[in-house]
Amino acid sequence: MGVSIMGVGVCGFTPTSTGYSYRELIAKAAKAAYLDAGIDIDMIDGAVSVEEDFVSGYSIADEYVPDQLGVVRKPVYTICGDFLHGIGSAVMQINTGRFDVVVVEAYSKASNMLTKDELLRFAYDPIFNRFGVSAHYLAGIEMRSFLAETGYTAEDVAEVVVKNRLNAVLNPNAPYGAEMDIADVLDARPVALPVTEQMIPRHADGSIVVVLGKDEIAKEHSRSPIFIAGTGWGSGTSILERREHHISEGTIIAADMAYAEAGIASPGDEIDAFFVSDLYPHRELMHMEALQVNDCEAVIVNPNGGAQGGGDLIEATGGARLYEAVIQLRGEAGACQVDAKRALVHGWRGLPTDSCAVVILEKERS
Amino acid sequence: MNNRVACIGAGMTRFVRRSKETSGELASQAVQMALEDAGMTIDEIDAVCLGTAPDAFDGIHMKGEHLIAGAGASGKPYLRHYVGGGTGVMSPIHGWMHVASGKFKNVLVVTEEKMSPCNPHPAGAFLTIFDHTTEQPLELTLIHIFALEMARLMHVYGYTEEDIARVSVTHKKNAMDHPAAQIAGEITVDDVMNSTLLSWPVKRLDISPTSDAAVAIVLSNEREARSRKASPVFIDGVGYRLDTAYWCSRDLAYPTYVAMAAQDAYKMAGITDPVKDIDIFEPYDPFDYKALHHMNGLLLDKSGRTVKDLLFSGAFERDGSHPMCPSGGALGVGNPIAATGLMKIAELYFQLSGQAGKRQVKKNAHRGVAQAWGDLMQVGTVVVMSSEGAAPNTNSRWNTMKASDLPGTGLKKVTDAPVVADTPDLRYEWDNGTALTTYLDGFKNGKIRGSYCSRCGRMMIPTRNFCEICNLAPVNDHFDLPDTGTVMTYTISHVNWDSSPLPKGTINIFAVIAIDGAAENMGLVHRLGNVDPEKVAIGMRVKAVWKKADEREGNVLDIEYFEPLPKSAKVKVEIKPVKPVEMTVDKAGAFPGKIPMSYLYTAGIAGTKFYQDLAKGKITGTFIEAMDQVVTPPAMFDEVSMEPSDVDKDAKNIPAKSGMIQSYTVVYEDRSGEEMKQPVVIAQVAFPGAAGSIFGRLKLAKGQTPCIGAQVELVKKKKITGPDDIEFQMK
Repeated sequence: MGVSIMGVGVCGFTPTSTGYSYRELIAKAAKAAYLDAGIDIDMIDGAVSVEEDFVSGYSIADEYVPDQLGVVRKPVYTICGDFLHGIGSAVMQINTGRFDVVVVEAYSKASNMLTKDELLRFAYDPIFNRFGVSAHYLAGIEMRSFLAETGYTAEDVAEVVVKNRLNAVLNPNAPYGAEMDIADVLDARPVALPVTEQMIPRHADGSIVVVLGKDEIAKEHSRSPIFIAGTGWGSGTSILERREHHISEGTIIAADMAYAEAGIASPGDEIDAFFVSDLYPHRELMHMEALQVNDCEAVIVNPNGGAQGGGDLIEATGGARLYEAVIQLRGEAGACQVDAKRALVHGWRGLPTDSCAVVILEKERS
Repeated sequence: MNNRVACIGAGMTRFVRRSKETSGELASQAVQMALEDAGMTIDEIDAVCLGTAPDAFDGIHMKGEHLIAGAGASGKPYLRHYVGGGTGVMSPIHGWMHVASGKFKNVLVVTEEKMSPCNPHPAGAFLTIFDHTTEQPLELTLIHIFALEMARLMHVYGYTEEDIARVSVTHKKNAMDHPAAQIAGEITVDDVMNSTLLSWPVKRLDISPTSDAAVAIVLSNEREARSRKASPVFIDGVGYRLDTAYWCSRDLAYPTYVAMAAQDAYKMAGITDPVKDIDIFEPYDPFDYKALHHMNGLLLDKSGRTVKDLLFSGAFERDGSHPMCPSGGALGVGNPIAATGLMKIAELYFQLSGQAGKRQVKKNAHRGVAQAWGDLMQVGTVVVMSSEGAAPNTNSRWNTMKASDLPGTGLKKVTDAPVVADTPDLRYEWDNGTALTTYLDGFKNGKIRGSYCSRCGRMMIPTRNFCEICNLAPVNDHFDLPDTGTVMTYTISHVNWDSSPLPKGTINIFAVIAIDGAAENMGLVHRLGNVDPEKVAIGMRVKAVWKKADEREGNVLDIEYFEPLPKSAKVKVEIKPVKPVEMTVDKAGAFPGKIPMSYLYTAGIAGTKFYQDLAKGKITGTFIEAMDQVVTPPAMFDEVSMEPSDVDKDAKNIPAKSGMIQSYTVVYEDRSGEEMKQPVVIAQVAFPGAAGSIFGRLKLAKGQTPCIGAQVELVKKKKITGPDDIEFQMK
């Protein structure tokens, strides 16, 4: 028994979404996903939302999930993680044998948060790590450690921004496509050096809903199912003083799980395209190292522009990458289309965490 | 089922009003106990799942991430789930998914809640659970909705306040035998009745306390469980259901969502008659009436007669035929939200495996049900557990566990230990969207507006442009409704949103009002005014009193309050179609709001040691036996082995002048993202011979530039109030 992606729906991604309430933003993606999956809402056995308190301005955010998904009084719970953590949980749910079709949802109304830096700072340990300065400070610490320990240069890091922003120019869902050069990135306004303003993705609004189902149900209903070959998630320590800031242990754990499940021994050879968290460009390189891809030049990474081009959608960020991977595997990625039969999607929750998740997708069940 | 899943161990801290331990330290203590109880080491755990309710309590955004080390999840697959107050019983359900899916063999389920950092009172965290646009301006809090629900339950089922108080009496008495209990005691119905009236009908002793605590259990697949335990307790059924967030659209008397969750769990467990088939009940009891409310749902009896008969016959006593909350429940043991639910699961584990000691129920119990509830009176989580029989004298330390055997340090005041104060500045402007724009425009025009779904035939308040129960069908037609309605339930409140008392002689009356012309039970919550409190009653007819037209701002406060309609008044229900507001840049508004919380964080066991030494100009570490190494900052547990350490006995001095920059950053923006006049250097400083590091500010003399590897020393400060006072200087 396997689990497939039956359908996907998005609304966005745009710098603001004035005119839509969060409910309307999500309902639009939900309707699109259900149509894409070829299902009626009656077929949905449960839903997983991916959301964290305060991002939406609520202190028990999961209350506001079921209505706009049309799943009132159904089994619904919330995962605090990246969208891909929600996928991991939903796949387990289906694999218990008690659920056939489960929906995963996340959204960003980042534009409604007036004090985003304050919120990020609020995630740090108040006793040891919550300073009265920009919460991006840890990105500066990380990037400097990464450069010192790995031999990558600041230019290599800047090149990630240049590549992804350029890829995003051709992506109609990405609001921040641009043709830049390395100097634009490195000489930008300093925030937490070596991290500059042009390394920190701007936020965006949007919603994403994904319908998961057992393979046989997907084959029956979905116009174009994509198969989940493996999932994994994990994190290094939450104690910043004891974390190695030049590696992503969370990615290593997540990838090991997913590779084992998918039977992948040589990821660089067996996976055609990587959709990897680039919230801070040094993280894209760090994540690729952790994914055991030795030659990043030889593989496709973030062909649709990543978060650098698509925006930081908070919990929905990994969902945007998943959406991109699905349309790439379906051959529906338009001007961004690459040749891919198997894709890896990676999500990271952002600072100050090392929580990562990996999902491996296939066009054909291998 | 693919794989049966069993509980093979449990651990918990004491439930206390204010713990000295940090959130992570509490979690680590519960985890250590659970592993010991299961006879396992952390290495044998394949994954960790964590349940904790709002971030607003602990005062840490993404607090699940913060709890990774304490939950024993460093370097492991780790997921945090939540459904508000229902999280505690959702936790074993999520753990069950981990194991029943075949993905993991042994999973640690951890729950934690530290409510005491909320300043001045954790109740304040509940203001922001309400709809930010249509409800928060009314300054409601949790006590209000509980009171609204309790009043409705009393009205529909004919309970008196005294009837309901019996639950509080029994649970607090049961808790006297629970080693973790926070407010156990022998009280009488009169004590409950005479306790401070907070928001009628809710009195102080109707309510569970706020608490700090952690609870953990180990779940394993059947093969693992049977190889490790003689009497594993199996999870036989799970159910969880989440109702609409539009809580003023349904009768609050009966928790349909709990009944549906129970039905799911019963079906899976093969239970056809819960009254006969279940031996022990652990319903969620944050308020005394809630236990009865939930029992109606769990027994699938909407008439309520079964529960009433069982209550009055004494069947719910621990030695009765249907023991209810033999643990002592939230009312007696305490209510650290998510940890409470898992405490109930742990109680089923103890009872069904014969490890409950003095609390062991008289009957030979094989099967029990635990349930939690939460969100906006909308989520039910239910777990059925069973064993092959509870040997009455199971050799277990839980049989003889005393309070002094449990970890967790209670403080009288948060400030009895070093604290760090912080007030996050969290502000928002929420896009109204198309539907609410028309709704709020109604208020500005002195109208209550609804929208009509032609599929289900409901006239809905507040307006929406899709129907949540008709497969998201479009809702296009908007109407002006009458501003009259009927009181469905009410509460007479003596407290503010943050639990502080209202000025003497003042009250607020909140009511759920079914608006004329809207669908049955569909309405809104608002204040009543111009009314004798003695005369307020369910069923009372009321009419909105509006602010003057030029004072209206387009929000729910444009209605000052609802006042009684004279009995003789005849209201013509007039429903008039209106054109929805056309969205333009001007009209597409956003509603302002904020999270009005501030926090006092205890430094914890390790943090206290760190701060006290720092004030002396010293840096200490803790020798961790399992690592054979000193770590800094101090730690009361080793996150790799999850072995405890003693921050005083195992303390090792680290030369404060021996620091070396491991990494650093030059920060140009302040906490709000504004440019600072002078950049600040934050450095990660390592010390020879010690694992770990210290983060601090780096003071630079003129001409100095930092670099990795540079030697630094601690700057001694007279007063340490938080991380910003940790400072190093280059040599």
